[in-house]
Amino acid sequence: MNSIIALSLFGIANLFLGFLNNRKILLPATLAFVLVALGLNLADWNQEYLWFNNMLRTNNLSVNFASVILVATFLVVAVSRGFGDDEEHTHPAEYYAIMLFSVVGAIMMVTFENLIMLFVGLEILSVSMYILTGTDKRNLRSNEAALKYFLMGAFATGILLFGIALIYGATGSFNIHGIEALVLTAAGGSAPALLYIGIVMVIIGLLFKVSAAPFHFWTPDVYEGAPAIFTAFMSTVVKTAGFAALFRLLGGAFTGVYGTWIYILYFLTMLTLIIGNITAVYQQSFKRMLAYSSISHAGYLMLTATAKVAHTQSSILFYSLAYSVATISAFAVLMVVAETKESNAEKTNENFDIFNGLAKNNPLLAFVLTVSMLSLAGIPLTAGFWGKFFIFSDAFQRGIVVPLVVAVLMSAVGIYYYFKAIISAYFKEGDVPAIELKPIYKITLIVTTLLTIVLGIAPDLVKSIF
Amino acid sequence: MSLVTLIPLFPLIGFLINGIGFRHVPKSLVGIIGSAAALASFACALSLFIGFSGQPEVTHLFDWITVGKLNISMSFQIDQLSLLMLLIITGVGSLIHIYSVGYMHHDEGFGKFFAFLNLFLFFMLLLVLGSNFVVMFIGWEGVGLCSYLLIGFWNKNSNYGNAARKAFIMNRIGDLGFLLGIFLIINHFGSVEFADVFGKIAEGDYESGDKTLLYITLLLFVGAMGKSAQIPLYTWLPDAMAGPTPVSALIHAATMVTAGIYMIIRANIMYSLSPETLEIVGWVGAATAVLAASIGLFQNDIKKVLAYSTVSQLGYMFMGLGVMAYSSSFFHVMTHAFFKALLFLGAGSVIHAMSDEQDIRFMGGLRKKLPVTFITFLIATIAISGIPPFAGFFSKDEILAHVYEHNKLMWVVALAGSVMTSFYMFRLLFLTFFGEFRGTHEQEHHLHESPITMTLPLMLLAVLSAIGGFFNLPHIFNGHASLAEFMSPLFAHTHSTAHEADASTEIMLMVISVAAALIAAAFAYFLYIIKKSVPAADGQESGLKKVIYNKYYVDELYDKIFVTPITVLSNFFHSVIEFLVIDLIVEGIGKGVKILSGEARLLQNGTTGYYIFAMVISIAVILAWSLRAFLF
Repeated sequence: MNSIIALSLFGIANLFLGFLNNRKILLPATLAFVLVALGLNLADWNQEYLWFNNMLRTNNLSVNFASVILVATFLVVAVSRGFGDDEEHTHPAEYYAIMLFSVVGAIMMVTFENLIMLFVGLEILSVSMYILTGTDKRNLRSNEAALKYFLMGAFATGILLFGIALIYGATGSFNIHGIEALVLTAAGGSAPALLYIGIVMVIIGLLFKVSAAPFHFWTPDVYEGAPAIFTAFMSTVVKTAGFAALFRLLGGAFTGVYGTWIYILYFLTMLTLIIGNITAVYQQSFKRMLAYSSISHAGYLMLTATAKVAHTQSSILFYSLAYSVATISAFAVLMVVAETKESNAEKTNENFDIFNGLAKNNPLLAFVLTVSMLSLAGIPLTAGFWGKFFIFSDAFQRGIVVPLVVAVLMSAVGIYYYFKAIISAYFKEGDVPAIELKPIYKITLIVTTLLTIVLGIAPDLVKSIF
Repeated sequence: MSLVTLIPLFPLIGFLINGIGFRHVPKSLVGIIGSAAALASFACALSLFIGFSGQPEVTHLFDWITVGKLNISMSFQIDQLSLLMLLIITGVGSLIHIYSVGYMHHDEGFGKFFAFLNLFLFFMLLLVLGSNFVVMFIGWEGVGLCSYLLIGFWNKNSNYGNAARKAFIMNRIGDLGFLLGIFLIINHFGSVEFADVFGKIAEGDYESGDKTLLYITLLLFVGAMGKSAQIPLYTWLPDAMAGPTPVSALIHAATMVTAGIYMIIRANIMYSLSPETLEIVGWVGAATAVLAASIGLFQNDIKKVLAYSTVSQLGYMFMGLGVMAYSSSFFHVMTHAFFKALLFLGAGSVIHAMSDEQDIRFMGGLRKKLPVTFITFLIATIAISGIPPFAGFFSKDEILAHVYEHNKLMWVVALAGSVMTSFYMFRLLFLTFFGEFRGTHEQEHHLHESPITMTLPLMLLAVLSAIGGFFNLPHIFNGHASLAEFMSPLFAHTHSTAHEADASTEIMLMVISVAAALIAAAFAYFLYIIKKSVPAADGQESGLKKVIYNKYYVDELYDKIFVTPITVLSNFFHSVIEFLVIDLIVEGIGKGVKILSGEARLLQNGTTGYYIFAMVISIAVILAWSLRAFLF
């Protein structure tokens, strides 16, 4: 739990580092901060602790989720390249500080023992995200996205808070173990309607954060408008934290009234899968496609998050890790290619066709992109395949047939739009000049790609830990 | 890190260095790295062998896949069988690596060659080290891949490429059998670990003739047929001679092709409980032995003769397996590795000297120009023909004795094969090394003995071919049958019905087969030394000879029976089914999804008010549904 305290202090330290006239120090400093936080986090391994007057709980589950979040953060920071040299319009110290603060929120969402903490963590994370979305101040899309995200996010927060209040009204407790016990007794038949309303509303509030349909509307617009680096951050860290919270509630506090929400979730899972995958097919913008892809991956994760049993946690963790790593590589490739095109004064967009002919001069980038697309599509020998495999086989064992069939069909649809990027990189005519990559960038790309392949060959290396 | 892990690791490192650094690693270093990797593995294998306690040891590296109750781990097993295979593979492998340094020196793909050779060693070692069927299968597939790469090594010649493809496809047919066998094992035993599967059988719950075991053993044997070139999947091996000669020696004679025999010995407990399968194994082996030997009688390509001879000798090994003489078969695997590698390397030396000429009709009299090659080749020829006291005699006669006890007819077939073996081998020897030189002047001018890197392996292998038989000297010669003794724990749970022939029968059988071999050799001497006849030019053979020369037209037959109908069917599918059915369905679905996508996209119209409206409606519906019990 010291990781939360440390990250908060590091965030403040980052702000002070911003006063130095040396932007170069920020990137290594932040990387070091994240590593220290990861170390502190791992120090909690194999210990069950309650912190801050029963507000937060750390155990192996929370350490695992927090580790995935911190690894994703580390990778995102590593490909941020210090946010360029534009002194006037970028403020890296603040960006890094906000990222660290938002991770504090994310870890609170993983470790909460009290619904208030869930709310506080979610807000820390969300408010940080609203700011980061709008950091490209001169870009109208970025401003619009930030405002939209804020408006809808505020709405969802309202629903969540309302739900928490109703649950409190029905049970008289904020503590999730207290609620779990009360829900179990209430499930006998005497439960007041407001308990059900409260539970459904809390679930909806979280579904909004993980962009499940029909609460996904913000996702494509925000993902497209936000600077790519923060989109990568958003689609990995926020999603993992959101699912951790969802899993802890569904698998713990709310199990007593399983029958109330399970069919809603099955239905929304299918809806999410269909909307995410089908809509992605039409997209011309690679970034927007990744937004829909993020919606569809939420659908796959929901398939296991609905489980009552604890052993599915390793499937969720493995999937989150595989998805995060692949997504970060995809965004990283997109960022360098878009930036190179921009500096060559070409008209820039973030469509698939900016990858045209990528393989000719940049074989490494094309390969990284290919592996990440294959992993997202779930092709064997990549981590993504095993992620899907574990989720599907869990679902099969629990007999969730209809949503499973939809999921399998939709993952076939997914291949179409993921492969469009590979086709552009290898088969389309085009000209991308050879891009000189900074060492840290190159290393990060190689690491994410190797990780995807290694986990694709030997998934048990990590899965056995989870 | 334990020694076991190091054994496959060395060749893998060698492969990575030479493979990734291809064209960058200096040529002088490439051969040293490649050979050193093989030698280092050999050293590890040797020290494991010396320190072996007699108990199987399993080294668990990591859990590879865990699905449900099935756990497939990456783990290695050291026992009598894998140790012996390790020694053969790394020992003969090292010699062939050293030989290749000289043989391939002028080739521009020198680095690539050594990378592939190391990769092959890696997979072959994985195959014999694996402690479960899946690791074995990884190695099995890997060696198939390397075999493909090395047969087609000179890929500018499209015939060689076709030979490589043929080998790959035929092996795939076998692999399918193997794979299905593994599936059946998983389904029935719930594990792929040798210890679990064989342990369950050893508990004694299985009757002889158990149906499941029958299917498993048959399917595994299909895999063995492909890899070890048995009827009907043998035609790829002669064509595989397109690869460089060291490859033929290592992969297509000494190691990879014996993988099928290794597998059956490994699973001997299953086979011993399936007498029907054993009968099939024995007869397939016998048929292959005699058929391949008869084709070998009239081939004129020095490597083709040796290739058919390999197929035929593999047939003997399967015959031995079929009569449950497992250790005898393995003994033959070992001696065969020595003398067949030697024969191929000797042939390579000849080809090297003859400026890539492979047709024995244009050779002759080479014994004076290539003395070392000649003497070593002579030793190998005597060994393979089964003339005492060289290695082949002991191993082949052991198999023959067991076959005689089991089935007299099979023994007659085997004897016929061994007569032919002796004839074609001496024919090859006489035509190549005796008589007058029949090549061009230019070739005669270039004739030279090979460099030391090539002759040294020849000499070492010649020693092994000469004395290899004494590793398992039978009791009637006051030997201890040490190899059989050493391997006996492998067959502890096998209820063998094979019993030793009594001494007088054994001696009678030996005398008969040695006499037969000597008569065949004498006949070859008469034909090719005294009468100085030279095989006719292509297209001038007649009658039976023509049929045999053309390998019984088996390739043509396969072409008519399998390839042509498949091509016709494939054309039909391509032009009709694909076009009218598949395309319509696939493109229809694709178009449907795209249209749907175009519609779904419109939901996302960019207006926040609309988004929130949609969300509110959804929330209302969800709440109404979840409160239906209260509302209605």
